[in-house]
This record gives sequence, C-alpha cells and structure tokens, in this order.
Amino acid sequence: MKKYDTPLLDELEKGPWPSFVTEIKKAAQKHEAAADELGQLEKSYKTKRGYWKHGGIVGVLGYGGGVIGRYSNLPDEFPGVAHFHTVRINQPSGFYYKSDSLREILDLWDKYGSGLTNMHGSTGDMVMLGCKTEALEPFFAEISSRGWDLGGSGSALRTPSCCMGASKCEWSNIDTMNLANTLTQAYQDELHRPMWPYKFKFKIAGCAVDCVASIARADCSIIGTWRGDIQIDQGEVENYAKQGMDIKAEIVDMCPTGCMSYESKLEINNAECSRCMHCIAKMTKALGPGPEKGASILIGSKAPIVVGSLLSWVVVPFMKMEPPYEEFKDLADKMIEWWDDNAKPRERIGELIEAKGMRPFLEAIGVEAQPQQVYEPRKDPFFFWKDEDLG
Amino acid sequence: MEKEELKNTIFAFVEKAKGKKKLKEKDIIKGVSADAGVEKDEVKKALREMIDVGRLMYSYGGGASSVEIPSEEYLREKGMIK
Repeated sequence: MKKYDTPLLDELEKGPWPSFVTEIKKAAQKHEAAADELGQLEKSYKTKRGYWKHGGIVGVLGYGGGVIGRYSNLPDEFPGVAHFHTVRINQPSGFYYKSDSLREILDLWDKYGSGLTNMHGSTGDMVMLGCKTEALEPFFAEISSRGWDLGGSGSALRTPSCCMGASKCEWSNIDTMNLANTLTQAYQDELHRPMWPYKFKFKIAGCAVDCVASIARADCSIIGTWRGDIQIDQGEVENYAKQGMDIKAEIVDMCPTGCMSYESKLEINNAECSRCMHCIAKMTKALGPGPEKGASILIGSKAPIVVGSLLSWVVVPFMKMEPPYEEFKDLADKMIEWWDDNAKPRERIGELIEAKGMRPFLEAIGVEAQPQQVYEPRKDPFFFWKDEDLG
Repeated sequence: MEKEELKNTIFAFVEKAKGKKKLKEKDIIKGVSADAGVEKDEVKKALREMIDVGRLMYSYGGGASSVEIPSEEYLREKGMIK
C-alpha cells in the first residue's frame, strides 16, 4: 500500500548497497508512521527544509531521559508522524543479543511504535524511532517487565558503552564488558535523572586500537593498556619477514615514538613505547601486550555540537581495572563533582578543563601532574607555579 | 522539617522560578538546602519522590534538562488527572 510518490527517495534505492529507503518502505506496509515518515522526508528533499521539532516534555514517569521528543511541523499533512519520539534502550555490553531477545523487543516495537530502528545510535543504545506520546508508558512497561531499561539522554550520564573486549579479542587488556555493566548498574540514578550541566559519556576500549572511538567521543575514555615490556616471539617475527612483510617500513618506521629497530631481530626500547598498539595489531602472532594489565584514563573528548570537537587527553596513565572498580569509581565521582560544581549549562568537562586549566582539575581530583598528561608538548611558553611548589 | 513541609518548600522554590529560570536538579537541591537549612541529601530524596509521583517533572529544552512543574496536559497524558 503506497501512500506517497517518492521519486527523489527512490533514487536512493539504486545501486548495490542496502538502502534506508527500502527499509522504511517495508515498515510502511504495516505502519502509518513509517509511511508518513517517507512522505515528510520526500517533502524535505523537495523543499530542502527540515520539518522536525525537537525537545519538550515527553518521557516516562520518574525518568528524566531515555526518550527524545520529536514532533512534526506538519502534523495535519503527515498525521502519522505528528509525534515521532525516539526511545533509547540500554544495550547489553558489547552489543551481544540472543536472537529471541531481539525478536522480543522488535515485536514490541511493531506493536507500540513505527517499526523503525537504528542499530545502534552513536552512543550505543538501541534506538527505536517513532513513538506516539500515548504509547510511551505502555511500551516502557512492557520492556521493563522483560528486563530492558531506557538509556540516557539530556543532561545525564549517557549509556556506558564498550568494545567486545576479552569476549572475542586477543588484544583486550581489561574486561570491558564487565566494567561497562558495572558502571551502568552503579550509575543508574545519574543515567535516568538528568542532574548535570550537560551530557557525560563513559566509553571503554580494551586496547589502544579503540574500536569504540572513545578517545574522540567520550568525556571519560577508559582504554586498556599494560605495564612492562611488549612480549616478543622472535620466531614469529622471522615468519612475518619470510612471508614478505617489510618489517622496517610497516612496523619500525611507523612507530610513533621510534622505539623499535630491526636488523636480524626486532628490538624494542620499552621505556619509549607509548603503547599505541600499531606493532601488536600488525604482528599479532609475534607481539603481545605486557604482563601487567590495566587501563589509561583519559578525559575530555566531545563531538562538535556546541563548539568545536576535542580529543581526550590522559589523566591517569595506568590504573588497575579489577572488580569492583572502586578506585576508578572514586576518581570518576571526583571528576564529575568538579565539573558539576564549575560548569556552565551545556559545557562539557573537556571544555571546562580548557577554560580553567588542567591544574585545578588535577588538584580537585587529587591526581599528581605527570608527563603523560601533557597534551601538546612545547606549546605554552608560560610557566605558572604556586609558592608551595617551590617548597 | 517534616517531609511534606519540605516538599511544599521545594514546590514553592520551583514555582517561584517558573518562567524566569530553568532550574537544574542541583539548583533546587542547593537552593532549598540553603534557604530551609535542610541537608542536601534530604532535599534530593524529597525532590526525587515528587518527580516519581508526577508532582514535579524533568523537562528538556535548548539542549539541557531541567526540573519543572508539570502541565495539565502532561498529568492527563500520565493518567494522573481526568
């Protein structure tokens, strides 16, 4: 049953790739909301204007987040999308689902929503697109009775996310999934009741390859690392060379700190290694992380929503990461408390550190200044000290 | 201070800011705690209870969340008034 002609959108179904238009058309067979979504989008393409209103007062009782209000500016023309709220559902760590769990949630979404989803939003939540206001409470009641919960939105902790970590990856230095789950459970209040100046995100990567891109997207990045020397199997190094790998060009010359050399065997000056994972990722059979595992804690990255984007920088170069993670939670609480006390509305922690300086931040969280925290070496010609520093 | 009295104090605090300032949860906790001389944790607990039953609500606008007095429309939608 075709409700609208969509010549412009139809163009996006051509070619070899999957098309979102095709998927919305399939959903439109069952849902008026999906059909009207197509109609409104076609109109947007024609007029080059957006017709969505964002925000307002939608949600489930007691929760301050998890639902993003979205209304059409053209409710008379496209009644199916008059309300088209987004519901964020807290994903399991590492995005592991049983197929019947997925069916369960998607069947419920067919019943209460538009049938359209994003798998997943960039924070990591399962994103259910297009819910009427009156369907929010019943949908939430159904999913929560089955053990699902809403994710974060607004000025709250956003749903912690992580890579698959040790469940599927030989490079993982920490149990990312356990940590993500622990943080999610520990910060339920902060996730569902927006109490801060703006959003705050934890993202957890098992190693510096950083598959969750935490260093670019999370206010607090937890990145698995190690202490001690990189483990080398010289026999396997030789095998790589025999198989045609140009170890000097592909490994040694690509090392950001120039801490490697290769003549007849691979030598690493571990004191200079920044644990970037390049060599280990390229020579998986020959090299491995050192024996003592933990994580680097970084702070301050964000995407360019309000002002420009930032990358995270190191606050704690190495911290043991073992359950119940009290040391980390204690540090996170201090970081958040300082930010909450000092930030302007819609100011992320990275911006606040840029404005106030790293020093007051480090003092507030009780972390000693260390060389690894230098963000841009040799950039600032000024040197500040307090009387007590002269000791 | 009795809990009900504290809740009324919180409500009055939010009502006073209506239309003038978007209040964060923390603004309310700090403000009421200072005005009424009540521990912050107590204010927080009472505030949360008010939100849980719909006497106050979380709102979102301009990119940030705030705590507000619910509109009739909201209360009707949540089945709290006919």
